Amino acid sequence: MTLKSPKLPSEPRDLFPGALELMILQTLHRQPMHGYAMVQHIQQRSHDLLQVEEGSLYPALQRLLKAGLVDAEWKISASNRRVRTYSITPDGTKHLQREVSRFEQMLEGISLVLAPAKG
Amino acid sequence: MNPMKRMFHRHTMTSDLSEEMQQHLEEKIEALVADGMSHEEAVHAARRAFGNTTLIEQRSREVWMWPLIESIWADVKFALRGFRRNILFTITVVAALALGIGATTAMFSLIYAALLHPFPYAGANHIVNPRIIDEKHPQIPTWFALTPAQFNSFRKAKSIDSVLGFILADLETTGSDLPEDVSTAYVTSNASSFFGIPAMLGRGIQPSDVPDSGQSTNVVVLSYRFWKDHYSGDKTTIVGRTLQLNHKNYTIVGVMPSRFTFTETVGNADVYIPWTPTRAGALFPWIKLKAGVSLATANAEFQSLLNQFKQETPKHFPAAFRVSVQPIIEPYIHRTGSTLALLFASVVVLLLIGCANCSVLLLARGEARHHELAIRSAIGASRFRMVRQLLIEAFAISFAGTAMGVAASFWLAEFALRMMPYAFPQEAAVTINFPILAFSIGLALIAGLLSGLSPALRLSRPNVSKIIQSTARTTGGNTSKRTTNLLIGSQIALTFVLLGVAGAAIAGFLKVISTRLGYDPHNVMAIRVPLKRDTDKNQQQRANYINQLRERVASVPGVISVAVASSGIPPSQPDFGLGTIGPFEILGEQPKQQPQAAVSLVSPRYFATLKIPLLRGRIWDQAENQRGDFVAVVNQTLAQRYWPHGDAIGHQIRILSLKDDGGPLLATSPQSGGLRQIIGVVADSRNDGLERPVAPAIYVPYTTFMWDGTELLVHTAGAPLAFIHAIRIALQSLSPDQRTAEVGDLEEALHHQSIWTQQRLFSILFSFFAGLALISSLIGLTSTVSFAAARRTNELGIRMALGAQRSHIVWIVVRATLATVGSGIVVGLVLDLALENVLRHWTPGSVFTPWMIAVVAFLLIVCTIVACLFPARRAAMIDPMVALRGE
Repeated sequence: MTLKSPKLPSEPRDLFPGALELMILQTLHRQPMHGYAMVQHIQQRSHDLLQVEEGSLYPALQRLLKAGLVDAEWKISASNRRVRTYSITPDGTKHLQREVSRFEQMLEGISLVLAPAKG
Repeated sequence: MNPMKRMFHRHTMTSDLSEEMQQHLEEKIEALVADGMSHEEAVHAARRAFGNTTLIEQRSREVWMWPLIESIWADVKFALRGFRRNILFTITVVAALALGIGATTAMFSLIYAALLHPFPYAGANHIVNPRIIDEKHPQIPTWFALTPAQFNSFRKAKSIDSVLGFILADLETTGSDLPEDVSTAYVTSNASSFFGIPAMLGRGIQPSDVPDSGQSTNVVVLSYRFWKDHYSGDKTTIVGRTLQLNHKNYTIVGVMPSRFTFTETVGNADVYIPWTPTRAGALFPWIKLKAGVSLATANAEFQSLLNQFKQETPKHFPAAFRVSVQPIIEPYIHRTGSTLALLFASVVVLLLIGCANCSVLLLARGEARHHELAIRSAIGASRFRMVRQLLIEAFAISFAGTAMGVAASFWLAEFALRMMPYAFPQEAAVTINFPILAFSIGLALIAGLLSGLSPALRLSRPNVSKIIQSTARTTGGNTSKRTTNLLIGSQIALTFVLLGVAGAAIAGFLKVISTRLGYDPHNVMAIRVPLKRDTDKNQQQRANYINQLRERVASVPGVISVAVASSGIPPSQPDFGLGTIGPFEILGEQPKQQPQAAVSLVSPRYFATLKIPLLRGRIWDQAENQRGDFVAVVNQTLAQRYWPHGDAIGHQIRILSLKDDGGPLLATSPQSGGLRQIIGVVADSRNDGLERPVAPAIYVPYTTFMWDGTELLVHTAGAPLAFIHAIRIALQSLSPDQRTAEVGDLEEALHHQSIWTQQRLFSILFSFFAGLALISSLIGLTSTVSFAAARRTNELGIRMALGAQRSHIVWIVVRATLATVGSGIVVGLVLDLALENVLRHWTPGSVFTPWMIAVVAFLLIVCTIVACLFPARRAAMIDPMVALRGE
């Protein structure tokens, strides 16, 4: 996954570890989805600022499956296609809440540090 | 999800994944086409957006793999990369361990081949020799033989799984020009199933060879060696050919493989022929006990059986005896067990030195890697993770060392086996097999742990802030220096111990080869002459015949002197019977201890032939020799022990063991067990082996006690074995079927003495191991000094820039190490002295003298000084400007 910054020349940057997982959990928290739909959702929600390399979703999904934070099931989609649909587990919900609050704290910390440089 | 379930699911997970990703791509393509792209463009665009499918699949799958194994593999790869970057270091550490592991594996292979698993026979662990112990001569056990009827009831004993009956006989080839001796083993027809070794060519002896009628078919199976020597290894036509023995034709039905050498203990057979009662009237039983039957149980059962047999044939058994069957490996364990144990101990020491060396080098390398380790620690590597990384490096080294060592060990073990041909079972063969590989893998793990643990614990705790702030050069933990010094010191101490043992072994060998023999074996050979079994029991006729034999040989051109000696060839005593040390009586004296002496049956020329000088009195003359009775000559040891004032001559002695005991093949003079006057005293000559003092000896005329064979000692004008053909012809001119049996050069016989071969092997192996230890330690020492100097390049540069002399620099570099080496040598010296008594017990042939220890210490000191000075000088040669610029 790369973060596309309009201000810097197109130097791809990795997000911090776990960011993609966090977004997946947040997406699934709204409703169960299959992979392709998740990618569409994340790109739309970030107004295309976050260009997910679509494939990189899958290792992240495997990690979440293994940790028991999501479940997967083959279903027939609205477009009448056999798709593997993921849903968040209760553990996943708890994890999401914890991580979101930690993320917010971290973001606050970073903004505080960066503030003088701007000014 | 639990690990079991996860493993089970792994397969479905990944197949789901491929399908899922495929679906994703298709959906994307459809969406793009719907947006107006051409199908082809859409496929490309979808692929681009998705990324590298193979890689993604791989990464997704990795999520489910075992993280431990994966990361260990990563560590291994990292370690190997590191080694490849530093080839010289790698070669040094791997070699240091390979030496130790190779030597240890070699010794284990040797012990495995020679003592743990030497015999190829089926159920060899349960096969026992039929040994009984005569209560009268408990130190000389013998085997018992059975009549056919006894054998048949014996084989039904409860303790017995199966029995092979066999007896050896000397036959000779007939039908060709010169008759040749063929040592024949008559074996019962169950031989093939008893041994469980298939013939190399044709077949072995089988039950159908002796039909129920008892009339055996005339078949013969050849031993490998006989086949090689007499049929030059003919493979195609050998089966079916005819071998004529004692004017009877036998059909060759098979050839045994080379490892089948049944059996050295009683003399190797050239050929095997099915036994029938008409061929031989007695059988030795080779007994395979049932699994789980103890020796004590078997002995008790056999004792009662043999007691019954003794009632039937009293002459076949001693008056009072006990059965003591003996596992076939036992004589060898007795002979070489302690030798091998000590050699094994020494290679373990060598291995320890190798491990210490490896530790030192890893520590030194770790010092140079402080920066790397500190960074890893700073970015969050746990201590455990770092210990693991460092240990994996040590294991990589130890496994590489093991691979090299195991490859080399095969040759080393073979070499040792060949060097001591009389000490190990002939069947023994060194092979690389599963137990040996398992042993070496065990060694690799132990060596890796021993050499890697201390550096790993030491280096995994870097003082991060200090190291990262400073430059690499000036730092160096004091504690790790202490560990290094301890390791170097122990290496030197252990090396000293090994050098001491090697020195003692060499000194012992030198003592053996420089032993004063007291006789001259040069150009003398011994020829065993069998006499016809049907020769008259008349003593005078037999004495005359032997004398004629002697005269015929003496008439051969180039023969200087011929003597008869029918009870053993110097420097050893025979295994049993006359010639061994036994009791005698002195007339008119009742000493507190029974007088003991070795009794030798010789002709008067014996002393001249072997150049044993007469000290007092005279040797018996020809007439006295013919009569055999009333005279004796003693050696100086005996004369001095019983007549210390030099008045031995004229005293009367009696040797009861010379009396006719009614044995079937014996002829004695009328008064053989009667009184004899001492008429002369001769100088001492070795008669109890090279390593023991001369035993008291009594020489009596051979005519007083004669068996169906005798031995001639022939002193010739040149290499004695060159005369053997002429001598054989001379003997046949006396009697056409007079044969000769073994012939042996007396000088060569010295080299077959077990003390000779053993001490030679000891000297070679111990020197080899000590040499390896020395090289190993010196490598460790040199590299430590080099590393230490390299770390201090900066400091040394400043010192030189400030005007320090090169000699001073050298001194600074070696100062610390010399102290370590010095204490190592002192500890080694103390260990050597402390172990001296233990080693003396284990290696009776070795000689420990202060002189020898001094030589060893000197050698070690010189070597260590050179090893220290070499890198120190190099350090002193660097240009101070370069050293300073290196910052």
